[in-house]
Amino acid sequence: MSDEVITVYKHMKDLPSSRLLGTGTPMCAGCGGLLAIHQAYDILGEKTVFVNAAGCMTLLAVYPYTPFRGSWLYTSMASAPAGAQGVRDALDIQLARGRIKADEDLQVVVLSGDGAAYGMGLSSTSGAIEHGLDFIYLCYDNEGYANTGQQSSPATPHGARTSTSTGAQGFGGHKKDLFAIWAAHRPAYVATVIATEPVDLARKIEKAKGLKGSRLIIALSPCPTGWDFDPQETVEIGRLAVKTGMWALKEYENGKVTHTRVPPKRAPVEEYLEKQGRFAHLFQPRRNQAMLAEIQARVDDYWAEVEAGNA
Amino acid sequence: MTRALITGNAAAAWGARLAGAEYVPAFPITPQTEIIETLAGWIDAGEMECRLVTLESEHSMITAAGAAASTGVRVFSATSSQGLLYAMEMIYAVPGYRAPFVLVNVSRGLQTPVTLEPDHNDVLAARDSGFLQLHCATCQEVLDSTLIAYRLAEDHRVRLPALVNLDGFYLSFTREPVEIPDRAAVDGFLPPYDPETTRFHAGEPVSQGVVVLGGTYYSYFRYEQHLAAQRALEVYDEVAVEFAQQFGRRYDAVETYRSEDAEIVFFMIGSFSTKAKDAVDRLREAGQAVGLVRPRLLRPYPAETLRRALEGKKGVAVIDQNLSMGMGGVLHGELAGALYGQAGMPPVLASFIGGLGGRDIAAEEFYEMAAVTRMACQEGSTPPPRLLYTADELRQMRKLQAVAHAERMEGRK
Amino acid sequence: MYRIRFHGRGGQGMKTASRILGSAFFLQGYEVQDAPRYGAERRGAPIFAYVRAARQTIQERGIILEPDLVIVADDSLVPMPAAGVLQGITARTVLLIHSGETPETWRHRLNIAGPLLTLPAEAAAGAEQRFVGTALAAAAARLVGVITHAALEQAVQLELAGLGREIVSGNLNQALAAYELMAPQAGLVSEGEARAAAACQRPDWVELPLDEADAAAAAIHAGATSVEVRTGLWRTLRPVIDYQRCNRCWWVCSEFCPDSAIRVNAEHFPEIDYDHCKGCLICVAQCPAHAISPVPESSEAQP
Repeated sequence: MSDEVITVYKHMKDLPSSRLLGTGTPMCAGCGGLLAIHQAYDILGEKTVFVNAAGCMTLLAVYPYTPFRGSWLYTSMASAPAGAQGVRDALDIQLARGRIKADEDLQVVVLSGDGAAYGMGLSSTSGAIEHGLDFIYLCYDNEGYANTGQQSSPATPHGARTSTSTGAQGFGGHKKDLFAIWAAHRPAYVATVIATEPVDLARKIEKAKGLKGSRLIIALSPCPTGWDFDPQETVEIGRLAVKTGMWALKEYENGKVTHTRVPPKRAPVEEYLEKQGRFAHLFQPRRNQAMLAEIQARVDDYWAEVEAGNA
Repeated sequence: MTRALITGNAAAAWGARLAGAEYVPAFPITPQTEIIETLAGWIDAGEMECRLVTLESEHSMITAAGAAASTGVRVFSATSSQGLLYAMEMIYAVPGYRAPFVLVNVSRGLQTPVTLEPDHNDVLAARDSGFLQLHCATCQEVLDSTLIAYRLAEDHRVRLPALVNLDGFYLSFTREPVEIPDRAAVDGFLPPYDPETTRFHAGEPVSQGVVVLGGTYYSYFRYEQHLAAQRALEVYDEVAVEFAQQFGRRYDAVETYRSEDAEIVFFMIGSFSTKAKDAVDRLREAGQAVGLVRPRLLRPYPAETLRRALEGKKGVAVIDQNLSMGMGGVLHGELAGALYGQAGMPPVLASFIGGLGGRDIAAEEFYEMAAVTRMACQEGSTPPPRLLYTADELRQMRKLQAVAHAERMEGRK
Repeated sequence: MYRIRFHGRGGQGMKTASRILGSAFFLQGYEVQDAPRYGAERRGAPIFAYVRAARQTIQERGIILEPDLVIVADDSLVPMPAAGVLQGITARTVLLIHSGETPETWRHRLNIAGPLLTLPAEAAAGAEQRFVGTALAAAAARLVGVITHAALEQAVQLELAGLGREIVSGNLNQALAAYELMAPQAGLVSEGEARAAAACQRPDWVELPLDEADAAAAAIHAGATSVEVRTGLWRTLRPVIDYQRCNRCWWVCSEFCPDSAIRVNAEHFPEIDYDHCKGCLICVAQCPAHAISPVPESSEAQP
């Protein structure tokens, strides 16, 4: 852990008890992405304008229904950060000219799935960070193009079954390291979170809220529909992602990466994988020991680097 | 007010400056780049209070433009050709935000093959997008149309973005005398930006650009946009009158030149229309009753005004500096649609394709087009569409082809 | 032509049902057109699917406005106007509802003159129970009376081919059971005639008025209007809190409800908003005191 963390959120009981994001949205029951968003929204508040890239969450606002008590703008799949640029600049211009008052200002928050963030959105994201755009970027990562039926995306992990990787070995690619790509731009802040660790998430959102500049966050979002598990398992699976070390909780700030959770004794990755239908082929009809070992080895290597102080 | 020799690009920049543009998302592309360089120079020198931001692509640029307009500021941007096409997803998307702004397009032919020189395929590719479209023939018109475009787009009855087109090279890089009005005079014509209810600020939550499920609802929103665009015909006429009163220059939705008593008229848009005026004058001197009809406003399409302008004429030589592959000239097809079945319309609409990729249209070609159209009227049959292209040009092409295929030809021998 | 509509929720197999029935008709020698209609992929969202079958080429397309047979997989859709279950029903339309309630109850509730049947729903619930597409397709096959059991079997095997032998044989059993159950009503559904042009009412076209931009823009000038959408209708199981066991543990259930459907009252007890709870049961799984239990929706009065 880093130096003494000054935070309001030390325990679960410090988390907001009122739910700001409206109910009644058409997200799947048990949606891990919606879970992260509602937790973040409780802290970010209604003085926000969410600028959305195409993905599952685009369906949050379907005329005439919106769950936001603040504002929302849908742009396109590739250009939400550019939309954020336009909104932020226009707010600043109006503030400078006295056309809106300081208390009318809004925080600009890009909301994007992994499909946009890890792929076509990189162009506009890179541009935004390079401009030092003052915004928050929240990526809900369900590791596939979920809204169109869970085709593989650049965020899909190695070996996962998706609707475009249905063979015995699953997805042949490897999950892109978006955290490293963003951090290489040296923005104000980058973090990984998961809604199943709500205190860690709250601290990071709180920290991001208090900083200026480009602040980018990836929330691993267990997806019952896309990952093929019963919706009630969402939180348990999220916990296992952290416990097995498959999802590292970390921050980048001022050139340094710090892990906010280092699992002391990592559970074997199998415990996480076997709960999800998208990895069923690694266990049935036969155990794919080679693939499981490969996945385990990658995770082990990652944490070895962390321990050695290199990651 | 100053009268100066400036390029079309400079005139566009002046239009943005005088309109008090507050935000310019930008991206460079030939032949538009001087517009944003000029604006950047003024801003850096403290002569223009405006924020210019270079986005990393035109798709992002138009997104930023629409987003900023939806937030509540006066936005200006500029692009051309491949850039306009790269932005095309958002060119179609942002009109639905119903937030007005002005985009200048400096027209340039589209690839393939790649060219830097002008024609109208780029701007016409946006004709279904929801942007209003104004087309300029002179550098003066570029400056003036930019001001008119803001006034039109921001009108309460319209609230749609507007695109002002000028031809690359022939206007963008060509200097002509332009009267540059005083800011005070412009302020008398164009009030400060009023976002109305299309804005973002704390205290008034709004979700913009949302999803809709069901054809019934989608149809409503889309057709309302169309109705507003059509309403702009009426608003344009009012604005043109106001502009004339303020600045003394008159820009009707359709320009007619010596067409009142004409039997044959040229029909075209853009800067080459001044060449057509020249041809009209020469043909008139030769005793022919020829005129020019030039739409300035292409979206909304001024069908009624065009019908009135063409009523009683014998033949129209439609000159398209564009090509809809597999169909032909866009202006020709749209004009035919507006005239068909209406009483008193010219029986002959001859289609000519010229000026692609900046190819010149020579004076003798205008005379020949008039002659062909006159012949068609006499014979009572419309000729097939013609590409303006000479035997000499074909010879030149063959020479280059020989070089390009030389090896292969060698091999075949 | 037979015009048949299936109504259900994502995950219940309405697309499969339309495919099975469509294939069965096709194998039986009919011209067929079948298709599902849905929005973005969502478990629980209402969808419909349809099948047209005729001896001659089918030229009609799209939504079926005068069904001969309407099949409903999830009876909570019936009272939902947006689901369109009752749209276009006439006195000759057969209505088949997958429900735990009796046909008499439904006839009374809907005040319908035409034939109404139910396919009994089991009291137990779970993921397997939700998939009723095969059974409903089989029931439909018997009701139209022109599809043999052999054709139906072949259709099931065709449509479920990729799912493995166990799943296919399980579905074949379900199909046979439903096919047999409908035996007394075999042939109850007959082919409808196309309505003569002269018999149709003229459409009531209007001139769309030009509205102000702020009304005519696709924008929502209000916050949290989503609360009007009662996603509680998605549930098959509802979580019920035993307040004797609840120890107000810093409201874990409320934090982990993705849909903001658990609020915390002044006494720090959680309260579930049943109008919106989708029944994901994360709260059941996560409650540290095991104070929340899942209860089948059908054994409670509908809200």
